[in-house]
Amino acid sequence: MNRQQTLWLISILIIVFFMTFPFLYGRRDYDYIMHVLITGFFYAILASSWSMLSGYAGQFSFGHMAFMGLGAYGTALFSHYFYLSPVPTNLCTEFEIGDQYFIIKDAIGVTSSTLDQDCLTKALAIWDGSVQITPMPIWIGILLGSMLGGIFGLLIGMLVLRLRAAYLALFTLGFSEILRATISAEIKITRGQAGIELPYLFENGITVFGHEFSKTDKIPPYYVMFFLLLACMAVLAWLAKSRFGLFVRALREDEDAAAALGVNTVRFKIMVFVITSTMAALAGAVQAHYVGIITPNNLMILQMSLVVAMAVIGGLENFAAAAIGAIIIQFLLELLRESFVIGGVEVDMTLWRLVFFGALLMITLRFYRNGLITPIIEFFTRAHVASETVEKRMDPKTEDVEEEGITG
Amino acid sequence: MIELEVKNLNKRFGGLHVLKDVSFGIKGAELIGLIGPNGAGKTTLTNILDGAIKPNSGTVYLNGQRIDQLPPFEVAKVGLGRTFQVTRSFRRMTVLENLYVPALAKHVAADKTEVTNKALEVLDFLTMRHLRNEYAQALSGGQQKLLELGRLLMLDPDIIILDEPFAGVHPTLMEIIYEYIRKVNEEGKAIVLISHQMDSIFSLCKRLLVLNYGDLIADGAPEDVKNDPVVVDAYLGKDDDENSDTTNNEKQNSA
Repeated sequence: MNRQQTLWLISILIIVFFMTFPFLYGRRDYDYIMHVLITGFFYAILASSWSMLSGYAGQFSFGHMAFMGLGAYGTALFSHYFYLSPVPTNLCTEFEIGDQYFIIKDAIGVTSSTLDQDCLTKALAIWDGSVQITPMPIWIGILLGSMLGGIFGLLIGMLVLRLRAAYLALFTLGFSEILRATISAEIKITRGQAGIELPYLFENGITVFGHEFSKTDKIPPYYVMFFLLLACMAVLAWLAKSRFGLFVRALREDEDAAAALGVNTVRFKIMVFVITSTMAALAGAVQAHYVGIITPNNLMILQMSLVVAMAVIGGLENFAAAAIGAIIIQFLLELLRESFVIGGVEVDMTLWRLVFFGALLMITLRFYRNGLITPIIEFFTRAHVASETVEKRMDPKTEDVEEEGITG
Repeated sequence: MIELEVKNLNKRFGGLHVLKDVSFGIKGAELIGLIGPNGAGKTTLTNILDGAIKPNSGTVYLNGQRIDQLPPFEVAKVGLGRTFQVTRSFRRMTVLENLYVPALAKHVAADKTEVTNKALEVLDFLTMRHLRNEYAQALSGGQQKLLELGRLLMLDPDIIILDEPFAGVHPTLMEIIYEYIRKVNEEGKAIVLISHQMDSIFSLCKRLLVLNYGDLIADGAPEDVKNDPVVVDAYLGKDDDENSDTTNNEKQNSA
C-alpha cells in the first residue's frame, strides 16, 4: 500500500468513525458531546469554504460570517413571516394560491406588551383553534437563505475585483459590520439583539428505521450536519482538482501573470466568492435551524476570527486540513473549559482557554505556516517528490511516477 | 500569416508622455529586438500589447483583430504571449501545474493526457523534467525563467514578447534560452526580444526597434541601427577608445 492509498484509508476510517460515533458513544454527557461535534461540523464547513476563498484563491475576506448570517437570517425571516392558511385572516397581507392563502405576518419587533400582537396571532385568537395554519417548509427557507448568501457573494465579488490584500480584508470587514449593525438596528423586522427564533430542523420529530426522534434529539441534526460537511468537502475536493482549482490558485499566486496566460481572472474571482459564500450561507441556515435561534452576535468579528484561526491552525491552503482543524479546535475549546487548581489557586479555564487558543495560533503562524494538519497530509501526498527529483536528476531514465492530474 | 499592426500608439501617465505616436508592424515569423534606455517605454508598450493597460489613443491589430481594448486573457487567446521583466512563476504550484494553466485556459476542451504529454515534452526541452512535481518556489531564478518560457510554449501564441529573458541567468541556462528562441522562431512564431544585453540582441535578431523616452527612433536591420547616429547618441554610445568607458554595459550597471 503506497502513501496515497494509506491516506485514503485513513480518510475512510475517519468518516466511518464519525458515522458510527452516535451509536458507539454512551456516556452521560452524550448530548453535550454531540452538540460539540455538530457545532464542530458547522465550523468545519465555514473553515474549509473560507480556505477555498482565502487559501486557494488568495481572497482574504473577513465577510464569511456575514454570508453565514445571511443564510441564517434568510431562512429565519422566511419561516418567521410566511405561512399558509386554508382561510384568509383579513388582518395580514395575504394572497390566494390555489385553495390556500399565503400569509405574510406583519413586523412588530420586540414587545413586552400583550396588547401588541402581530396580525397572525390576532387571527389565531379569533379562530380559537378552529383553523390550522401551516408553517413554510424549512428546506425552502434553507434554500432561499443559501441563495441570498450566493447573491450577496456575487455582489461583493464584483465590488472587490480591484481590491487586494489588506484593502479586500478591510472592505469585507466593513460589509460584515454593516450587515450586523443593520440587523441589530432593524428591530421591527429582525427583532434586533433579541434574535429570531426558528423552527428546529425536525420540528415535529422524525422516525428513522422505526426509531422515533424528538425535535431536540441530537442524532438527526448530527447526521444532517455531518452529511452536509461531507457534501461540501466533496464539492471542494472536486473544485480543487479541477481547472477551477488550478486557475484560482494561479490567481492567488499572480493575478496579472494568470491573466496574461489566458485565465479569465475576473470570472474566477467572482465564482469563488459565489461558491464559498453560498456554502457559508447554507451552513448558517442549517445551524440556525439546529440551534433554534439566530442573533446578530453570531456575525461578530470574534466569530470570524475563530473561523480564520481554525483554518490557519489546520492549514489555510488545504480545505481538508482547515476542516479537520476546525473540528479539533472546537473540541479543544470545550475540553479546556474545565477549571483546575494549582497550589491552591483556581484557574478559571472559561477565560484562560482563549489565551491557550491564542498562543496556539501564534505558535502556528510563527513555526508552521502551512498549519498543523497540512504537513501531515503532505507527508502522504508529497513526501516522495524530493527523493524522486534527486533520483531523476542522477538517472533521467528512471520510470516516471503517476503525475498529479486535473479532473475537470 | 502572423500580422501585428501597431498604429499611432500614445500613452500618458498624468503629465508624463510615455509613448508618443508609436507605429510599427510585424509580418511573419520575425525575430525582433526592442531596445532602449531605462524609462524608454518598452515595458509600457508590452503592457499595452498584452492588454494589461489601455492606450490613450492608437490601435493594435493582431491577425486582423483589434486587441488594444481587450483584457489580457483574451489577448492571450488571440495569440500574444509574454514573459515579465521580474520572473512571475506561480510559486506555490508545481512545475507541471504552472504548465497546465495556459494550456487549459486557452483550450477549454483540451484532453488532459495530451496536455500532460505536451507539458512533459516542454520540460524535456527545458531540461527540467525531473523537477516537474516540485513547487516553482523550489527552483533557482534561472529555472524559474525557463518555466516562464515553458508556459508560453504551452500557451502556443503567434507572437511572443520576452522581457529581459537573460537577466541574472547562468551561462548554461542562457544557452537553453538561446536555443528556445531559435527553435520557437523556426517553428513560425514571431518573437520580440527586450534586453539590455546587446551581444545577445545582435546575434539573435534580424530587426531592431529602438525606443527613446516614448519615441520610436529607429526601426531596421541591426547593422543599420548600430550605426544610426541618433541611436548611438541616445542609447548605444560610441564604441571607440575615447568613449569605451560609456559602453552600454556600464550604462546598464549605472541603471
